[in-house]
Amino acid sequence: MIIVERKSLEALEEMTKDCGRLLVLGCETCSAMCLAGGRRQVAELASAIRMERKMSQNQDEVIEDAIARQCESEFIDHVKDRVAGCDAVLSLACGAGVQTMAHTFPDVLILPAVDTKFIGSEAERGVWKEMCMACGDCVLGRTAGICPVTRCAKGLLNGACGGASEGKCEVGKERPCAWQEIYHALKRLNMLHYLKEKPQVKNWPVHPGKVVREDLREGEATTGD
Amino acid sequence: MQDNTTNIKHNDYPPCKAACPILTDAREYVQLIAERRHEEAFASIRKLNPLPSVCGRICTHPCEAACRRGQVDEPIAIATLKRFACDGSWKDQYRGALPAKPSGHKVAVVGSGPAGMAAAHDLALLGHDVTILEALPILGGMLRVGVPAYRLPKDVLDEEIRAILALGIEAKTGVRLGEDIKLAELFEQGYKAVFLAIGAHKDRKLGIPGEDALAGVVSAVSFLREVNQEQNPKVGDKVAVIGGGNTAVDSARSARRLGANEVHMVYRRTLEEMPAAQQEIEDAVREGVQTSYLTSPLEILGKDGKVTGLKCIKNELGEPDASGRRSPKPVPGSEFSLDVDMVIAAIGQVPDSSFIAEEIEVTDRRKQIIVDGAYTLVTTQPGVFAGGDAVTGPATVVEAISAGKRAAISIDLYLRGEPFPSSESAEAKKPAMLSSSLIDKTRKFPRCGKQGIPINQRLKGFDEVDAVLSEDLATKEALRCLHCYMGAQVDREKCVSCLTCVRVCPLGIPATSKMGEITIDPFACQACGMCALECPVRAIEINLHSRGELAQQVEESAGSNQDGAILGFFDYHGDFGAGDVTSLRENHPSITPLFLFGLRRIDTSHLLTAFECGADGVLLATCRPDADPFPGETDRLKRRVNDARSVLDFLGLDGDRLQVVDMPERGLFDEGQITEVMKTITELGPSPLR
Repeated sequence: MIIVERKSLEALEEMTKDCGRLLVLGCETCSAMCLAGGRRQVAELASAIRMERKMSQNQDEVIEDAIARQCESEFIDHVKDRVAGCDAVLSLACGAGVQTMAHTFPDVLILPAVDTKFIGSEAERGVWKEMCMACGDCVLGRTAGICPVTRCAKGLLNGACGGASEGKCEVGKERPCAWQEIYHALKRLNMLHYLKEKPQVKNWPVHPGKVVREDLREGEATTGD
Repeated sequence: MQDNTTNIKHNDYPPCKAACPILTDAREYVQLIAERRHEEAFASIRKLNPLPSVCGRICTHPCEAACRRGQVDEPIAIATLKRFACDGSWKDQYRGALPAKPSGHKVAVVGSGPAGMAAAHDLALLGHDVTILEALPILGGMLRVGVPAYRLPKDVLDEEIRAILALGIEAKTGVRLGEDIKLAELFEQGYKAVFLAIGAHKDRKLGIPGEDALAGVVSAVSFLREVNQEQNPKVGDKVAVIGGGNTAVDSARSARRLGANEVHMVYRRTLEEMPAAQQEIEDAVREGVQTSYLTSPLEILGKDGKVTGLKCIKNELGEPDASGRRSPKPVPGSEFSLDVDMVIAAIGQVPDSSFIAEEIEVTDRRKQIIVDGAYTLVTTQPGVFAGGDAVTGPATVVEAISAGKRAAISIDLYLRGEPFPSSESAEAKKPAMLSSSLIDKTRKFPRCGKQGIPINQRLKGFDEVDAVLSEDLATKEALRCLHCYMGAQVDREKCVSCLTCVRVCPLGIPATSKMGEITIDPFACQACGMCALECPVRAIEINLHSRGELAQQVEESAGSNQDGAILGFFDYHGDFGAGDVTSLRENHPSITPLFLFGLRRIDTSHLLTAFECGADGVLLATCRPDADPFPGETDRLKRRVNDARSVLDFLGLDGDRLQVVDMPERGLFDEGQITEVMKTITELGPSPLR
């Protein structure tokens, strides 16, 4: 899932101080799942902003709500009246949600309350790790399920750089060398020969990416390039 | 009004409630005692049960046998807590429902035991004109003449009967149905319905030689009747009581009190099969009663017309009989004699139905009144209903009350010409069992059960043996409740399967399906509240003091105090009483207290809301870890407090407005600590958000 992390209160105060009537809007899929953007976090954040405004004699109201996903128009529809009544929305969604909101409400200022960090998973309660940078050309089938693009500091595709020592990356002693992990994993799977085949060349995508599925399309694409 | 005559049905109730013949909501009143709301606890009991103090003393408490805590360590002492709720002066505040508009129907209730009293009470509330006919010169039935005063003081019974009669019920004593008035005459006198609750006041005969010929052989019922009417019957020096039921134990313990030096209880099976309540047997043994198990009487020996001994034979247990208990088989050649000068026969009672046998159908052997269906209690004669021991044979007080309540419903329907409900198939649900891992994870707390007076004081007379629990012990006991079916419920619509509940549950209860659906077993959950609090999308609600309820209380409390409000969160698990709460309010009016089942339930947003509503400070008084069922969760609370403090610091409000203190060993707070906290908060000045 997409991992997000809430911005500091200082940054959010700066961002929202002159924005008028504000809706703090949670996003209850990825953001909620990484415990940064559900109703519970909305309540805390809205409460802090309300107090801050009250103390600085700012009379503008702060209201709160949440929808299932801010990247889907059907869910956004449920709050369109509330959004229309505000000058700004502080969105606890990832970048995709914030942009979909901004596209849907061109006359309302949509502000990000979180930083979208990466595609990752929960390693333990309170710890999330980056697992995928959405490179668009997956190589995991040749690397024993360990992504060198994301987890090697240099994003190398064809083996270790030689800078690792005792299994740790030269960039930081805390991070394991992804290629050493790949080596051991391939050995365990009896697939070390993969490393001897011709070098991999990566088909890097051009951003922004776009996926078009003709089998699913109904007429012309509805969103612009 | 209907509340008082609840239509009895067994659905998905907590085990304690489902086990009670009258569906007393034990969980509810245990909860209220834990919350120091004793007056409401009493009301909760009294609204269903017209004899609450009686039940608080002598109920066989099937609720305790069903209690889930019993699977972990020992069941909640529910009956003892009922006694506590019924013994306090707060019960005088209780105002029961008033009778409905008079129906104009006259109903006769024959017998003033628990079945008759319960029926009369409910019928009066339903608006009927009730007259009780009692054969004995005093009211109360077996409660009066069967149960000795050391278990049920007479004034306690008097008071409850007085309250029942106060509903406008007329009681005529010394009137025996069939002798002084015929059943048919009652209808001639204008009674539209009759409830026969004549009890089972006739002892079964032993059927052994010497039973009828010797002085010193008495039946338990007549012996106890004399004991209970303070006629101080003469007892022998060495007494044998034959039988293993509660009547036998009552007789044995009474004989000890009346001066018998040696009392033997002679029972043909073992302790395990003995029908008397375990506690009673233990108390009897403690009072010096000796037990002869696997022993059957063969003959009462005598000389000069007086008892000199009891010839017995030893038994061994054979195959289970119809009752499921292993039947005793005499061991040849094991005969022996007990040297006694008095024999009390207590091998069971039957209804004394001879007076009415010509007017109503009874069973051949046990002389019990025949009813059509245990639920409606309709007899073979229109307008005549019967229940209690007269129908079932000797049973418990709560079963008799249940019969009385059912009879009241049936009679009311009959008088209004409405059909009876389809018969209840009260199929007892097998109690759900907790997994062994859950039992391991559940914190054990010792039971605070009955508190007895010392043995040497007991035998001096018929003073009540059990003392009422003190408030601190009662609340401590009530807090052992595991809150069956009051725990977490997942709203599938809102749940996003984030697994937070799975990760935070201290008992490992939330389960996941392959497709991400979360289920929380409502029986296993103990309502700690962690999942409901941590759920990021608020898809979990907790029935015990819900998150929303708490949020509302925070808003109201924090906004209520105009000058210098400090919101104080206290844990019910602290060792304090209702008096401590009163003195907190008097001595520290600026602290508005809020009580929780565990401070772990407080979320960061609750703390921030308090300040948003204008609180100058928030005080969190955590209970001592040894009283906390989930002490491991205090750390999470402390981290949430730190979060809230950092928000306060950011706002320039100062995180020191939020203070955590430990509740002392006894009481709500330590005066010195509170003074310190108040000083810190006061020095920070009034909140700019006020």
